[in-house]
Amino acid sequence: MRYLALPLLSQNLTESTARAQTLSLYLQLSLQVSLSQRNESTMSSSSSSLPSCPKKVVTLKSSEGETFEIEEIAALQSKTLENMIDENCADTPIPLPNIKGKILAKVVEYCNKHAEVGVDAESLRAWDAEFVNVENTTVFDYILAANFLEIPTLLDLTCQSVADMIKGKTPAEIEKTFNIKSAFTPEEEEQVRRENQWAFE
Amino acid sequence: MAVTQQKPTNLDDNEEEEEAGAVAVSTHSPLHGDVLDLTLSHVPLVDLVHAARVSRSWSLAVSSSLRHFRKPKPWLLVHYQSTRSPHVVSTRAYDPRSLVWMDMEVGPGRRQPPAKLASALRSSHSTLLYGVSPARLSFSSDPLHLTWRHASPPSAWRVDPVVALVGSRLVVAGGACDFEDDPLSVEVYDLQAHTWSVCASMPAPLKDTSASVWLSVATDRRRMYVMEKLTGATHAFDPEVGAWLGPYDLRPDHGVFYSVIGFAGDRLVVVGLLGNSEDVKGVKLWGSIAVGADELEEICEMPEELVKELKDDSCRVSSISMCSRGDFVFVCSNSKPEIVFWCEREDASGVWRWGTARDPAARGRSLGQRVAYTCAEVGIGELREAAATGNGRFVVMEGR
Repeated sequence: MRYLALPLLSQNLTESTARAQTLSLYLQLSLQVSLSQRNESTMSSSSSSLPSCPKKVVTLKSSEGETFEIEEIAALQSKTLENMIDENCADTPIPLPNIKGKILAKVVEYCNKHAEVGVDAESLRAWDAEFVNVENTTVFDYILAANFLEIPTLLDLTCQSVADMIKGKTPAEIEKTFNIKSAFTPEEEEQVRRENQWAFE
Repeated sequence: MAVTQQKPTNLDDNEEEEEAGAVAVSTHSPLHGDVLDLTLSHVPLVDLVHAARVSRSWSLAVSSSLRHFRKPKPWLLVHYQSTRSPHVVSTRAYDPRSLVWMDMEVGPGRRQPPAKLASALRSSHSTLLYGVSPARLSFSSDPLHLTWRHASPPSAWRVDPVVALVGSRLVVAGGACDFEDDPLSVEVYDLQAHTWSVCASMPAPLKDTSASVWLSVATDRRRMYVMEKLTGATHAFDPEVGAWLGPYDLRPDHGVFYSVIGFAGDRLVVVGLLGNSEDVKGVKLWGSIAVGADELEEICEMPEELVKELKDDSCRVSSISMCSRGDFVFVCSNSKPEIVFWCEREDASGVWRWGTARDPAARGRSLGQRVAYTCAEVGIGELREAAATGNGRFVVMEGR
């Protein structure tokens, strides 16, 4: 608690100067009072002795009920979560019934990494490359999660990774990789195949 | 074709055991709707041709992706012709949408350009490839230059004339010819009637510079525009009327010592080099202020670091070629064919910006080769037709 040093008022001061000085003293006093009030309240709420701002954390719940905590600043990368935080719906755990636990854990890891400061672009790119260096089905799950949570950077990264799976493949190879049932009738398929015989060799 | 790699798959508890290396049997694919469109926007056009054949929904997704997520962009086509017999022509293409370089392969059914295109391969106004010999005039104007047409040669013998295709008329003008009375003569070939006719000669000021090496050519639907590269003086020729118009002063900045002309969409564009040939200080792009107007406004200046790359080791820039189409302007330095400069108009903002593309396979390629540049708006339809007729397909060789 600071103690105010009260200046001695000289007898020869003019009325306006005296008024100004009184006003200034009054303001200093009221400021001290409010500061001490705030310190008291902070000291009573936080467990540590330092009056610092607590980090806001958002809790996410996977489809199996597992909970994951993510710092608010990292969560802001998801437009969906950002909207919830803005509307103050993020105080209770947010249920994500279509995202599995192991995928959600990785998504949280991605957001945390991309919220870090001072990471150089080159190493972040390498980290991203490792992140998508997983099985196809896992990448598809990342895409679903990134799409639902609206995380543009993750969505771009995963879509690019899937695009790389499409490059250089013939239609038959693409069908196999993605397990797609062709919707063309057998006659149409045969015609297409004959037309493009040379193109698909 | 590139080797495909299939990643070994991990399995859910509910799915059957698969052998290592086999394909995942996923019960669903998340790839549909916007997500599929977004994914396809990262796939080069040449691969989208195959992707569109996978299923009906993928075919629709390819169209949707190209329309809403990442539109096709004009390709730059680089044609190399060996200066030694049999003067084989090979083509490389650059797709700025996906930043890939491709080699063009010819199929068994290909109708070759004139067997030995003994005449020098040249390009004009971004879309025409041609060769003039005493025996015939061969030319190609389709986007991928897969079909070549031949005409009887013009009556006057010319060396390196200006050639341009305007509508259904082929204009041949000038060309240094010592033995002819009129070095400025102009002849027009009617593609439908297959006949040549003589038209009004080129304007007298072009007397000493009437070869294509001195003149930059651009065409719109009705006219051919010819600009003297060193002075900027421009004349226009209307083949329907057979008359010359101009001259127009298309050099808004007097610091320009070399300029070339083209059309980007409906707009006349000029690329000019500032400074002098020993020391290029800058490169600027100008465009006509309105369609049909001959007054120019500055569009975009090339950033300094790119201008440095344009100069060769002795800081000289000998000459540049320009191809333009739609929202793209490509600029190539004849002394540094491995690097291509482009200026693109961004759809959303309307702002133009410069960039570069390096051809990874160009090193040493231009030795003993003549190079000609054209530009084409290539879509799925063009690639499909090229493959279907066996005339050509594009294969990405590098950086898969």
